[in-house]
Formats: sequence, structure tokens, C-alpha cells
Amino acid sequence: MKTECQKRIRQDCLRVLSGREKALDELRQSKLAVIGGTGFVGTWIAEMIAALNDEYQFGIKLSLLSRSPDQFANRLPHLANRKDINLIKADVRQLGQLPSDVEWLIHAAANPDIRTHASNPLDTASVIVEGTMSVMRTAERLGRLKKLLYLSSGLVCGSQPASVNGVAEDAQGAPAPDASFIYPNAKRFAETICSAARAQSRIPVLVARPFSFIGPYQALDTPWAQTTFLSDALHGHHIRVMGDGQVVRSYLYGSDAAYWFLRMLVAGESGDVVNVGSPVGITLQDLAKEVATNFDPSPEIMFNTAPRSAGRSAQLLPDTAHALNEYGLSVFTPLDEAITLTVQWHRMMQSNQARN
Amino acid sequence: MMDRKIVISDPTLRDGNHAVRHSLRVDQIAAYCKAADSAGVAIVEVGHGNGLGASSLQLGESATPDHLALTTARANLTQSKLGIHVIPGFATIERDLKPALERGVDVVRVASHCTEADICERHISFSRSMGVEVWGCLMMSHMISPALLLEQARKMESYGAEGVVFMDSSGHYIPEDVRHRVEALVDGLSIAVGFHAHNNLGLAIANSMAAADAGATLLDGCARGFGAGAGNAQLEVLVAVLERLGYSTGIDLYKILDAADLAEQALMKEIPVIRSVSVVSGMAGVFSGFMKPVTRIAEEFKIDPRDVFFELGRRKIVAGQEDIILEVAKELAQRAAKGCQ
Repeated sequence: MKTECQKRIRQDCLRVLSGREKALDELRQSKLAVIGGTGFVGTWIAEMIAALNDEYQFGIKLSLLSRSPDQFANRLPHLANRKDINLIKADVRQLGQLPSDVEWLIHAAANPDIRTHASNPLDTASVIVEGTMSVMRTAERLGRLKKLLYLSSGLVCGSQPASVNGVAEDAQGAPAPDASFIYPNAKRFAETICSAARAQSRIPVLVARPFSFIGPYQALDTPWAQTTFLSDALHGHHIRVMGDGQVVRSYLYGSDAAYWFLRMLVAGESGDVVNVGSPVGITLQDLAKEVATNFDPSPEIMFNTAPRSAGRSAQLLPDTAHALNEYGLSVFTPLDEAITLTVQWHRMMQSNQARN
Repeated sequence: MMDRKIVISDPTLRDGNHAVRHSLRVDQIAAYCKAADSAGVAIVEVGHGNGLGASSLQLGESATPDHLALTTARANLTQSKLGIHVIPGFATIERDLKPALERGVDVVRVASHCTEADICERHISFSRSMGVEVWGCLMMSHMISPALLLEQARKMESYGAEGVVFMDSSGHYIPEDVRHRVEALVDGLSIAVGFHAHNNLGLAIANSMAAADAGATLLDGCARGFGAGAGNAQLEVLVAVLERLGYSTGIDLYKILDAADLAEQALMKEIPVIRSVSVVSGMAGVFSGFMKPVTRIAEEFKIDPRDVFFELGRRKIVAGQEDIILEVAKELAQRAAKGCQ
């Protein structure tokens, strides 16, 4: 029997899939693997595949490869115990366990936690760069592989120039070559590895560049604006905004992102690069206000004392024209609804934990 | 005239504890908290000189245990925030930090040696998750370049710190040094930048002004400069100079002057002065808190404490390595004895 949380997630998936499931028909009766499959993205893809199989009889066999499948199984038994989902313990740098008959492959292995990047920059680079080399070497041996989608980062082009409304896929910028930017630099090099694998071994690989996401399954202890605001409010604290609150970001809901990735996987041309995110910007001040509207009494919003450096770009948004024009992808869940859904899900989880 | 706000954090009851061997009592804490609160000081920091959980035989035992100091301060602060200095290792999350937050701490300043920001991750993340304000502090910051200081500060930012304060723990800086570091941090961080001065070379106020001018928005100051070694930036002077320069601190000048008078009478055995050894420790770049043990051990070995400081500076000794003072003193004494023969 499904819990309220599971029902809510299924509703999120069906809301996005409704009328759009045909665009994923190529996935029917196929074998898909997600490397790094137990994080935020992998979990949402698993939920989406479960919905496609249960509600639309897609018959997809999904393998999720992860360094910690046991934790995933404990946390999400409703996914882990399904017959159409196979959990495999593997490090992205050693992929001997990847089923050889995989037809669709998503490489999502990387830790996006900026605390890990700061404390362990070499490990961060190793997982991304050596991991991507390993995926490409493994892909060379997959005789039935139709497409490989690499999840890069929206940060690979560095900061957004003030002269544009969003960062396009062909933007020429780059992150500074120092340890503080190890994650986007490693992702940038991983994109180069994908290109090399395509040139040398004809691997059919395309690149997705995720920007910021929001939704259930996103850990609240990560120091990103959206998770921090949600955590503050859910724990009854004031919402504290870093700086003056005028920084602009955008957020794509988890089920939207999962659909975008699957759609790109089936419809994408090898060699394509596609931004994944919402083009609708919001200041952190307004994001905090939007979170606060979901609570009664509404938490106080506080700003810290950091003035924004005059030279620093305040905005990082994706230009999503390519995703819209080539793939028909847009934001399906508006941000206010996404925030409300996320808050409701966390509240349900809190009350479940309190009962247990 | 500029319109910039400076948040003043006052560690009189924490850094000042170094100057009196951690002997501040409940009545002294209560009296000073009342005075600082009335003056409108933004943050009043309380505790052992080395921070929460640091009371020990090695570092000096606090006359007032942490829980009592915090409860007392909390009861006497109505508008000022209550702050603590936390060095991971001395302070553990379960034993020290959790109980401190339960006693009403508002601001947690998690500190490490300037090259060791990594050790602060858990304490910063935990404090942030508990909804309190969290700053990172990088001590002995003169030992690394502005670029390396920024690298360490970025780690603290990534862990969730809402401000980073770099500390001139040995009073070594001249204004130019401070300016370069603040500029690097303001340019490279998204969070507030702060500065904590010591007065070994008589530049604590000038250095603090250089910090503010370069973009720092958090400054530390102690009443009458009450702090380790030659003392800190003198709070009431800091407030007055900032006022003259058009910065806003939210502090009432007359009341902070009264608080400083009270501190002098009620807390201090002696007002910090720049003694010869302080000048030397500043020149050598050695932690101000070493002044008392160096002076004592040098006397014991009948050697010049200035030589001890320069040798400690040459060896790049930092707080926590107090045992080396004895080793250095012994070597210098042996060398002197050989020279005499």
C-alpha cells in the first residue's frame, strides 16, 4: 500500500506525463541504466519509470548503479523492491557490474554538494573525470547501446555575462581554474571526454547541463538557497538570506527534470548539448518570501550584512530556447506550485517520522 | 558621506578572559553584558579565551564554567545577540555546542587555524541547521597569502558560514596587509567579511579602518582593548572613529564609553598596554596569547623573552603548540650557556 508521500510523487509524475508519454515511446520494452542512480535525479527518474511501467505499461527494465544502494533501499523500499528496478553496487570508476545488454544509459554520477567540493576537491575531480573515462570505456563494449546522456553542469560556462538574459549552450565563458571551481572545471573536462569518445569510438553521447532543481528527495542539509530556506522554515526558524537577496536563480521541479532527461535521451542527437532548468528567474529575496507564504505564522526573513561585490554577476539562468525548440521541453510545474508541493511533501515526511 | 553599516562584535568577555587567565566571574559577566546591551552592541561574545569547551589544565581553567557564563549573559542581554567562539576539537557538538545553543546562543563563530578550515565543516553545518547565525573565523591569518586565505574562506562559505572573519591573532598586520586580504575576500565571497585586530604594533584601529574601507562589514572590538597580549582594537575608540568616518554601528557613543569605564573598573587587573614583548610577538607573528607563558618560561630559564618570540616566529608556531615554548627556551638557554663557556 502506497504512503501519502508515494502517492504525491506518483501524482507529480503523472501530471507531467499526461499527454506527453507518447514522446517517450522508444523506451518501451527497453533496458535503461542510470549510473549515479540514487541521488536526486536518479530517484526522480526511477519514480518516472515506475509510473510509465505501472500506468502506461512501458515495460522498462531499470538498473540503478550507486556506491550506496543499501541506503537507497532503506530509504525508498517502494522503489528498491520493485521487480523492474535492479539496484547494483558500483563505483563509477569501476563499472564491471553494468549489464551488457543496456540500451539507454544515463551518467549522473557526481556529488553536487559544494561542501564536499571544498573539502575534497581531488576526490571530486576523480569521480567526475575518471568516472566519465570509465563510462566511455564501458560504453564502447555495450553492443546494444542506443544513446548515452551525460549530466554535466550549468556552471561549465562560468558566470553569466550581464549582457544576456540566460546562459546559452554555446556561451564562451569558463570557470576560473582554481580549486574553488573544481566541480564545474571537472564537468567541463568531462564534456570534452564525451566529445572525444564520440569522435574516437562513435559513442552516441549527448550532454545535459542541469541548473538548479527543487523538490522532494533534495536533502535539506545542503547549503543551497532553496534547501536552506525550506529547512529554516520547516524547523520553525527565521529564513536567513545570504547577502542582499538580489541574486537571481531559477528552479526546475524534480518530476519536470526527470521528464526532460528521458525526453532528451530518446530524442537527442549524439553531440547535442542542452540546458536543463527553468528560464524563469527569481531573486533569493522573493524565493524566501515564496517559501514563507507556505507557513502560518509566516517566518521572518532576515538578510545578512554582505554587500554584493560590484563586479560579480547576480544572475545565473539557463537559456532554454534549444530545449523548447528541439525537444518541446518547458516548465510544467510553476515555481510557486513546486515550492508548495515540496513543503507539503516534507511535512508529510516529518509526520511519518514522528509517527515512527 | 558614505552610508555603510558595520556590525560590531564585542569579545571583551571572551578574548579578555585571556588577559585574566580565564578568571571572569558571573557578576563581572552580568555587569558588562548589561552595559554593552544598553549601548547597542550588536553581538557580545562570552566564554573561555580559547572558546567553548576549552577550559582545561593545559589552556587554563575557567573560573566560570561555560553553561553558567552563557546563562548569565543570556539573562542580561535583551537587544544584543549572544555569541560564542568555537574551535572544533576544544568544543564538540554533543558535549558543548548543543547545550550552548539550548542556552540561547544567537551567533556561533567557528574558528580554525588559517590553513585548516576543513575542520569546521561539521560545526558550521550543525549550527546552521539549528537556525543560529554562523560565522567562520580564520586565526593567525598573516601566515598565508590573500589568495590562500580566500581558498580557506570559500570552504567556510561552502559549509554554510554567513560571514568569514580573519583574525590578526599575533597583531602582525599593517593596514596594507589588511586591505589586500579584505579586497580578496570581498571579491571572492558572497558572504560578509570581518576582521579581528590585535594591537601589538599599535595599529589595531588603523587596521580595522583599512578593513572597513576595503569592504569589511564585521569588526571586532574589546572595551579598553581587553584581550590577549597587547589587546584588541579598543571598542570605544573603534566606535568613535567609525562614527567620525560616517559608518553606522547602531552603538550609542556615551553608553559604550560608560561600558568601557565599567570594564576597566570591574574586569581588568591592568589595562592592556603594548609591552616590549608584545611588539616583538607582533613583529615575529606569534599568537598574542603566548605572551604570558613566554614571559614566565623565559624568566624561569633566565633568557630574553624577545629571543623566544623570534625563534617561535621562525618556527611558525601556532596556538595549541604551547609545549614548544619550553623546548625553545631550553635550547636558547643551552646555547647561551655554551656561548658563555
